[in-house]
Formats: sequence, structure tokens, C-alpha cells
Amino acid sequence: MASGNMKVIKRRIKSVESTMQITKAMELVASSKLRKAKEKADRARPYFNALYDTMCEIQAENPRFLSPFTRKSGEGKSLLVVIAGDRGLAGGFNNNVFKLAQARIDQLGGREKVDILPIGKKAVEFYEKRGYNLMAQYQNICESIKIVEAEEIAESIVEPYIKGVYEREELFYTEFVSPITQTAVSKQLLPVEFKTELKKSKALPIYEPSAGAVFNHIVPRYITGMIFGSCVDSFASEQAARRNAMENASDNASEMISSLSLMYNRARQASITQEITEIVGGANSAE
Amino acid sequence: MAAPFQLTVITPEKTFFDGETTQIIVRTTEGDIGILANHTSLVASLPSGPLKVMQDNGEYRLAAVSAGLIKVGGNKVHIFADAVEWADEIDIEWAKRSEENAKQRIAAKNSERDLDLAELKLKRALNRINVHNTLMK
Repeated sequence: MASGNMKVIKRRIKSVESTMQITKAMELVASSKLRKAKEKADRARPYFNALYDTMCEIQAENPRFLSPFTRKSGEGKSLLVVIAGDRGLAGGFNNNVFKLAQARIDQLGGREKVDILPIGKKAVEFYEKRGYNLMAQYQNICESIKIVEAEEIAESIVEPYIKGVYEREELFYTEFVSPITQTAVSKQLLPVEFKTELKKSKALPIYEPSAGAVFNHIVPRYITGMIFGSCVDSFASEQAARRNAMENASDNASEMISSLSLMYNRARQASITQEITEIVGGANSAE
Repeated sequence: MAAPFQLTVITPEKTFFDGETTQIIVRTTEGDIGILANHTSLVASLPSGPLKVMQDNGEYRLAAVSAGLIKVGGNKVHIFADAVEWADEIDIEWAKRSEENAKQRIAAKNSERDLDLAELKLKRALNRINVHNTLMK
């Protein structure tokens, strides 16, 4: 039945077309969001780089000073801050971060040894389902994160560290390398890690009120910066990953449509040929 | 004419000021300090407070700084702050609202942490209002 076949193919083409419209739209939304997120990330970077540099300088010039943020302490439990997306349909974006964090969790000795602070709806769902101990959770904040929100998160993780609840705190997120490459990375938040190679300035600066006080003043801001920066970066990565995934989906859809239309045309031609043969056959037999 | 130096004021959201000036006065945790060209290397913490930047016309331009850090060295001054606004750009209504809001939170006494946050918020709001009022005088 050629005409029945044609109907089925026609319906499939329609369905693929409407799917393609959705993937196209998502692709466009993702690329415009990506642009905004990238600008935000670029604007924030100089501030936090400068804070980090200052911190390293203080440490380099005063090698023996002690701060609650540099000592190694605690009862052996770790806090992992995992930043993922609020939505799916972004290729391997969410899974890559989880995989990286999972490797670290296994290394630290399993789920009893770690607490998780998930940021992003997908991260919350992931760790809730697997029965991890969540210190807190944040959803739907990455897209429009403000400094005060990052500050709040930073304070909530700095405090238990000082009290010695956690031995170390680490951050997992997806770094935005380029619109086509995003890599899941981990960074140590506390104790503070310093750069090793550092140019020493000739003049020793005066610290007011003291090097230690300035240092302790900077650290919470630096953590805030890490949280803020990685949320923004993660969001940009999410958009880029989604754009790529949707671009592929749209490409696949248009490929499917072209092969389906070929099939449709063949079927149409076959049915016409059949009709003509029937007519000719009928005319011949009438003679 | 005093010698100029480079001043950069950076916040997480933007580069607020990047240019030359001859003198600034800024409030540190230890008190107000004035900085001229070729100042010795200095790093200091800043609470919420006013910042005065000398302009070409010999008058100070006033700004409100919300907590941060000042770094002086090599005839360059960097100020890193959570937020900065010029006095004439402060949204006074908003500042007053957040003052009220902070006071309510302090009165509510929810938790120690909330109290700390509210106190910081109140300080920022009062700083903005003070700076704004100084300009209006």
C-alpha cells in the first residue's frame, strides 16, 4: 500500500520537524545566555585574581605566620562543593562533574568521609538520590548569582572549617575553556593553597593593622570569589554544552528529514508509476 | 601641581575607576589615611567608609566604599571593594530601605549569623547614607 506508506513517512517528517524547531530554539537561547555569562565571568576575574595574588604575597613575605585558614586540622571529614546545572539536555555536562567528584569521594574513603554541598538542581537531585549527607543545598542560583549570595555560601563553608568540622574543603565545577571545550575541574578551597612560583617585591609593604589580620580579612572574600567565579563559569559552560548538544540534535534532525523526504518521494513516485501501469493496463484490456 | 599617580578601583562586578589622580583619602580599619604620589608600599583592610578622589579641578569627588582592601606600591594604588558608588549616584531611597530592613532583622534576633549579616548590611547602608548626606551639605 504505497499511499499508506506515504502517510506514515509524512507524519514522521512532521514530528522530526517539530522536534528540530525545539532544538533550534534551545540552541539560540543557550547561545545568547552564553554570551551574557561570559561577559559576567570576564568582569569578575580581575578582582578575584588580585585578591589571590595579594594573599600569596602576604604568605611569601611572612612565611611563618599562622592563620586558621592555612593550618591543617579537623577530624578527617571533607566537604565537597559540587556545582552542576539546573537543567538537563546539555550533553555530558552534569555527568562529567559528578564523575570527577565521584573519583575524589572514592579516594577520600567513601560517602561516610564526605559531606556534599550541591549547587544546581541536578547536583541536588543526584546526591539526594544516592543518600549523601548534604550540608546545605542551593538551586537555581547560578544564572543570576549576586555577590551577596556567593558571600552567604562562602560564610557557611568557612565557619565549619574554622570550627574544625572539616579537614579540607574542595570545589568541583566545569571550567569554561572555550565555546567548544568545557572541562570538569577540582580546586582546593581550604586550607588555602598558594602559588609556588612568585616574584618577590623588593619593598616590604606595611600591613595595616597586621599581615595576619589583612590575610584573614581577605580569605573569606577570596572564597566568595571562588564560589562566585565558579558558578558563573559553570553556568557559561552549561550553556555552551547545551548549545553544542542542541546543535548536534538539530543537525541530526535535518539529516533525518532529508533521508525521510527521499523515502517519501520514492514512495510517491512508486505510487504514481503504479497508477499509470494500472491505467495503461486497464486501457489495453478495454481495447 | 602635585605629582599624579595611577588609581584603580575594582569591584567584582566591574572596574569602577581607572585613571590618574593626585591625592586620595580613604578610611582603613586603623583610621583615615591620605595618599599622595610615591607613597610607600602599603596593604590595608577597608571597612565600609568614604573615599575621596582628587579631581583635575582641585576638588574631591566622594564615593562610598563597602568593605575591601587597599594596596599601594610602585606609584600605583589599587582598591578592591565589594561595592563602590559615587556619592551623586547613590540611590538614597534604596539605602534607607535597606537600613530599615537591616534594623528589623537585628530586632528579630533570628540567629547569631543572621545578626552578623544584618549588622554588616546596616553598616553598608549607613555608610551610603552618610556619604550621600555629606555631599548634600
